[in-house]
Amino acid sequence: MLAIQLEAEQFEPLSALAEWHQLLAARLGIRPAAESHFVGRVRPSGANDAPLTALELEHYPGMTEACIASLAAAAAGQHGATAVLVIHRIGLVLPGDAIVLVAVAADRRGPAQRCCQELLEALKHEAPFWKREWSQGVGSWITGNTPL
Amino acid sequence: MINLPLQAMAVSTDPASQVQVRLFAGLREAMGWSEQLVELAPAAGGNNTAGPTPEQLWRQLNLQPTNPPAGVRVAINQQFATWDSSLAAGDELAFLPPISGG
Repeated sequence: MLAIQLEAEQFEPLSALAEWHQLLAARLGIRPAAESHFVGRVRPSGANDAPLTALELEHYPGMTEACIASLAAAAAGQHGATAVLVIHRIGLVLPGDAIVLVAVAADRRGPAQRCCQELLEALKHEAPFWKREWSQGVGSWITGNTPL
Repeated sequence: MINLPLQAMAVSTDPASQVQVRLFAGLREAMGWSEQLVELAPAAGGNNTAGPTPEQLWRQLNLQPTNPPAGVRVAINQQFATWDSSLAAGDELAFLPPISGG
Protein backbone atom coordinates (compact mmCIF):
# COMPACT_ATOMS: atom_id res chain seq x y z
CA MET A 1 0.00 0.00 0.00
CA LEU A 2 1.72 3.14 -1.25
CA ALA A 3 0.85 6.75 -0.48
CA ILE A 4 2.87 9.40 -2.34
CA GLN A 5 2.36 13.15 -2.00
CA LEU A 6 4.18 16.20 -3.29
CA GLU A 7 3.30 19.14 -1.06
CA ALA A 8 3.57 22.75 -2.22
CA GLU A 9 2.77 24.03 1.27
CA GLN A 10 4.23 23.46 4.73
CA PHE A 11 3.15 20.17 6.28
CA GLU A 12 3.34 18.79 9.80
CA PRO A 13 4.88 15.29 9.79
CA LEU A 14 3.15 14.10 12.96
CA SER A 15 -0.26 15.14 11.63
CA ALA A 16 0.52 13.43 8.33
CA LEU A 17 1.47 10.27 10.20
CA ALA A 18 -1.77 10.38 12.20
CA GLU A 19 -3.76 10.59 8.95
CA TRP A 20 -1.72 7.73 7.49
CA HIS A 21 -2.43 5.61 10.58
CA GLN A 22 -6.14 6.17 10.05
CA LEU A 23 -5.76 5.14 6.42
CA LEU A 24 -3.82 2.01 7.40
CA ALA A 25 -6.44 1.04 9.96
CA ALA A 26 -9.24 1.57 7.46
CA ARG A 27 -7.53 -0.37 4.66
CA LEU A 28 -5.81 -3.14 6.64
CA GLY A 29 -8.11 -3.45 9.62
CA ILE A 30 -5.12 -3.37 11.95
CA ARG A 31 -1.94 -1.33 12.10
CA PRO A 32 1.24 -3.28 11.25
CA ALA A 33 3.48 -4.27 14.16
CA ALA A 34 6.52 -2.21 13.17
CA GLU A 35 7.02 1.25 11.75
CA SER A 36 10.07 3.27 10.80
CA HIS A 37 9.91 7.01 10.10
CA PHE A 38 12.31 9.59 8.78
CA VAL A 39 11.73 13.35 8.77
CA GLY A 40 14.16 15.63 6.93
CA ARG A 41 14.13 19.37 7.70
CA VAL A 42 15.81 22.41 6.18
CA ARG A 43 19.05 23.41 7.91
CA PRO A 44 19.44 26.99 9.16
CA SER A 45 22.59 27.52 7.09
CA GLY A 46 23.67 26.72 3.56
CA ALA A 47 26.65 24.97 2.04
CA ASN A 48 28.89 27.99 2.68
CA ASP A 49 27.63 28.31 6.29
CA ALA A 50 25.76 31.53 5.50
CA PRO A 51 22.30 31.86 7.09
CA LEU A 52 19.72 30.32 4.79
CA THR A 53 16.62 32.29 3.85
CA ALA A 54 14.91 29.35 2.18
CA LEU A 55 15.50 26.19 0.23
CA GLU A 56 13.78 25.92 -3.14
CA LEU A 57 12.82 22.50 -4.45
CA GLU A 58 12.20 22.06 -8.16
CA HIS A 59 10.85 18.83 -9.62
CA TYR A 60 9.88 17.29 -12.95
CA PRO A 61 6.08 17.10 -12.86
CA GLY A 62 4.89 13.63 -13.69
CA MET A 63 8.29 11.97 -13.71
CA THR A 64 9.04 12.82 -10.09
CA GLU A 65 5.79 11.32 -8.80
CA ALA A 66 6.22 8.24 -10.98
CA CYS A 67 9.82 7.80 -9.83
CA ILE A 68 8.89 8.00 -6.15
CA ALA A 69 6.09 5.49 -6.63
CA SER A 70 8.41 3.14 -8.49
CA LEU A 71 11.18 3.44 -5.89
CA ALA A 72 8.71 2.95 -3.04
CA ALA A 73 7.18 -0.12 -4.68
CA ALA A 74 10.61 -1.62 -5.32
CA ALA A 75 11.84 -1.01 -1.77
CA ALA A 76 8.61 -2.31 -0.25
CA GLY A 77 8.76 -5.40 -2.43
CA GLN A 78 12.39 -6.10 -1.64
CA HIS A 79 11.91 -5.82 2.11
CA GLY A 80 8.39 -7.16 2.38
CA ALA A 81 7.00 -3.92 3.79
CA THR A 82 3.26 -3.62 4.18
CA ALA A 83 2.84 0.08 3.53
CA VAL A 84 4.91 3.11 2.55
CA LEU A 85 4.18 6.80 2.89
CA VAL A 86 6.32 9.45 1.18
CA ILE A 87 5.58 13.16 1.47
CA HIS A 88 8.05 15.47 -0.25
CA ARG A 89 7.96 19.26 -0.35
CA ILE A 90 8.27 21.29 -3.53
CA GLY A 91 8.63 25.05 -3.84
CA LEU A 92 10.13 27.29 -1.19
CA VAL A 93 10.79 25.61 2.16
CA LEU A 94 11.85 27.61 5.20
CA PRO A 95 14.60 26.62 7.66
CA GLY A 96 13.22 24.18 10.21
CA ASP A 97 10.36 23.09 7.97
CA ALA A 98 10.02 19.48 6.91
CA ILE A 99 11.23 18.64 3.39
CA VAL A 100 10.54 14.93 3.41
CA LEU A 101 8.72 12.31 5.41
CA VAL A 102 9.28 8.63 4.74
CA ALA A 103 7.28 6.13 6.76
CA VAL A 104 7.34 2.37 6.37
CA ALA A 105 5.09 -0.17 8.05
CA ALA A 106 6.04 -3.82 8.20
CA ASP A 107 5.60 -6.91 10.32
CA ARG A 108 9.07 -6.58 11.90
CA ARG A 109 11.46 -3.77 12.80
CA GLY A 110 14.28 -4.95 10.53
CA PRO A 111 12.37 -4.74 7.27
CA ALA A 112 10.73 -1.47 8.34
CA GLN A 113 14.05 0.20 9.20
CA ARG A 114 15.98 -1.14 6.23
CA CYS A 115 13.22 -0.25 3.78
CA CYS A 116 12.94 3.26 5.21
CA GLN A 117 16.68 3.94 4.94
CA GLU A 118 17.02 2.42 1.50
CA LEU A 119 14.04 4.31 0.14
CA LEU A 120 15.29 7.60 1.55
CA GLU A 121 18.68 7.16 -0.11
CA ALA A 122 16.99 6.19 -3.37
CA LEU A 123 14.86 9.33 -3.23
CA LYS A 124 17.93 11.47 -2.73
CA HIS A 125 19.74 10.06 -5.74
CA GLU A 126 17.08 8.81 -8.14
CA ALA A 127 14.00 11.03 -7.86
CA PRO A 128 14.27 14.17 -10.01
CA PHE A 129 14.42 16.97 -7.47
CA TRP A 130 16.79 19.93 -7.50
CA LYS A 131 17.59 22.13 -4.54
CA ARG A 132 18.49 25.80 -4.64
CA GLU A 133 19.70 27.54 -1.51
CA TRP A 134 18.58 31.13 -1.07
CA SER A 135 20.79 33.30 1.12
CA GLN A 136 20.92 37.09 1.21
CA GLY A 137 18.94 37.30 -2.01
CA VAL A 138 21.25 35.00 -3.94
CA GLY A 139 20.21 31.53 -5.13
CA SER A 140 22.72 28.70 -5.57
CA TRP A 141 21.84 25.33 -7.06
CA ILE A 142 23.05 22.35 -5.05
CA THR A 143 24.73 19.72 -7.17
CA GLY A 144 25.02 16.88 -4.70
CA ASN A 145 23.70 15.37 -1.51
CA THR A 146 24.92 15.71 2.06
CA PRO A 147 26.88 12.71 3.39
CA LEU A 148 24.89 9.88 4.94
CA MET B 1 7.82 27.72 -25.82
CA ILE B 2 10.65 28.57 -28.19
CA ASN B 3 10.91 26.92 -31.57
CA LEU B 4 14.56 27.25 -32.46
CA PRO B 5 15.51 26.57 -36.06
CA LEU B 6 18.57 24.38 -36.33
CA GLN B 7 20.60 23.68 -39.43
CA ALA B 8 20.27 19.93 -39.42
CA MET B 9 16.55 19.97 -38.89
CA ALA B 10 13.69 19.81 -41.30
CA VAL B 11 11.39 22.73 -42.04
CA SER B 12 8.22 20.86 -41.14
CA THR B 13 6.36 22.09 -38.08
CA ASP B 14 4.25 18.98 -37.82
CA PRO B 15 4.25 18.05 -34.10
CA ALA B 16 4.47 14.42 -35.14
CA SER B 17 7.97 15.07 -36.48
CA GLN B 18 9.26 16.92 -33.41
CA VAL B 19 10.96 16.12 -30.14
CA GLN B 20 10.22 18.27 -27.13
CA VAL B 21 13.41 19.07 -25.24
CA ARG B 22 13.23 20.18 -21.60
CA LEU B 23 15.86 21.58 -19.27
CA PHE B 24 15.69 21.86 -15.49
CA ALA B 25 17.21 23.80 -12.60
CA GLY B 26 20.73 25.17 -13.10
CA LEU B 27 20.96 23.85 -16.65
CA ARG B 28 17.77 25.69 -17.61
CA GLU B 29 19.01 28.93 -16.12
CA ALA B 30 22.47 28.63 -17.66
CA MET B 31 20.95 28.16 -21.12
CA GLY B 32 18.11 30.65 -20.70
CA TRP B 33 15.29 28.40 -21.89
CA SER B 34 13.20 25.59 -20.46
CA GLU B 35 11.50 23.93 -23.43
CA GLN B 36 12.01 23.72 -27.18
CA LEU B 37 10.38 21.81 -29.96
CA VAL B 38 13.08 20.37 -32.19
CA GLU B 39 12.30 19.22 -35.70
CA LEU B 40 13.74 15.86 -36.61
CA ALA B 41 15.45 15.65 -39.95
CA PRO B 42 13.63 13.32 -42.36
CA ALA B 43 15.22 9.90 -42.43
CA ALA B 44 17.42 9.72 -45.51
CA GLY B 45 17.17 5.97 -45.72
CA GLY B 46 13.47 5.66 -45.03
CA ASN B 47 11.57 5.07 -41.83
CA ASN B 48 13.96 2.43 -40.56
CA THR B 49 16.78 4.91 -39.96
CA ALA B 50 17.46 5.41 -36.25
CA GLY B 51 16.64 8.83 -34.83
CA PRO B 52 19.13 11.18 -33.21
CA THR B 53 20.50 10.46 -29.76
CA PRO B 54 20.30 12.74 -26.71
CA GLU B 55 24.04 13.31 -27.06
CA GLN B 56 23.60 14.50 -30.63
CA LEU B 57 20.78 16.84 -29.64
CA TRP B 58 22.87 18.18 -26.73
CA ARG B 59 25.48 19.31 -29.24
CA GLN B 60 22.96 20.40 -31.84
CA LEU B 61 21.33 22.70 -29.31
CA ASN B 62 24.72 24.08 -28.30
CA LEU B 63 24.21 23.07 -24.69
CA GLN B 64 27.25 23.70 -22.53
CA PRO B 65 29.76 22.34 -21.95
CA THR B 66 30.16 20.75 -25.38
CA ASN B 67 30.66 17.31 -23.88
CA PRO B 68 27.76 16.48 -21.56
CA PRO B 69 28.96 16.53 -17.92
CA ALA B 70 29.09 13.18 -16.14
CA GLY B 71 26.46 14.22 -13.58
CA VAL B 72 23.83 15.17 -16.15
CA ARG B 73 21.30 12.45 -16.93
CA VAL B 74 18.72 12.13 -19.64
CA ALA B 75 15.09 11.05 -19.58
CA ILE B 76 12.96 10.11 -22.56
CA ASN B 77 9.22 10.27 -22.05
CA GLN B 78 9.87 10.73 -18.33
CA GLN B 79 11.95 7.55 -18.00
CA PHE B 80 15.69 7.57 -17.37
CA ALA B 81 17.52 6.72 -20.58
CA THR B 82 21.05 6.53 -21.92
CA TRP B 83 22.88 9.15 -23.94
CA ASP B 84 22.97 6.85 -26.95
CA SER B 85 19.25 6.06 -26.96
CA SER B 86 17.48 6.63 -30.25
CA LEU B 87 14.84 9.35 -30.23
CA ALA B 88 11.62 9.17 -32.18
CA ALA B 89 9.17 11.82 -33.29
CA GLY B 90 6.82 12.77 -30.48
CA ASP B 91 9.32 11.96 -27.74
CA GLU B 92 9.91 14.22 -24.76
CA LEU B 93 13.62 14.48 -23.98
CA ALA B 94 14.81 16.00 -20.71
CA PHE B 95 18.33 16.84 -19.66
CA LEU B 96 18.54 16.46 -15.87
CA PRO B 97 21.29 18.16 -13.86
CA PRO B 98 22.61 16.30 -10.79
CA ILE B 99 19.68 15.27 -8.61
CA SER B 100 19.47 16.42 -4.99
CA GLY B 101 16.26 15.29 -3.37
CA GLY B 102 15.24 14.28 0.14
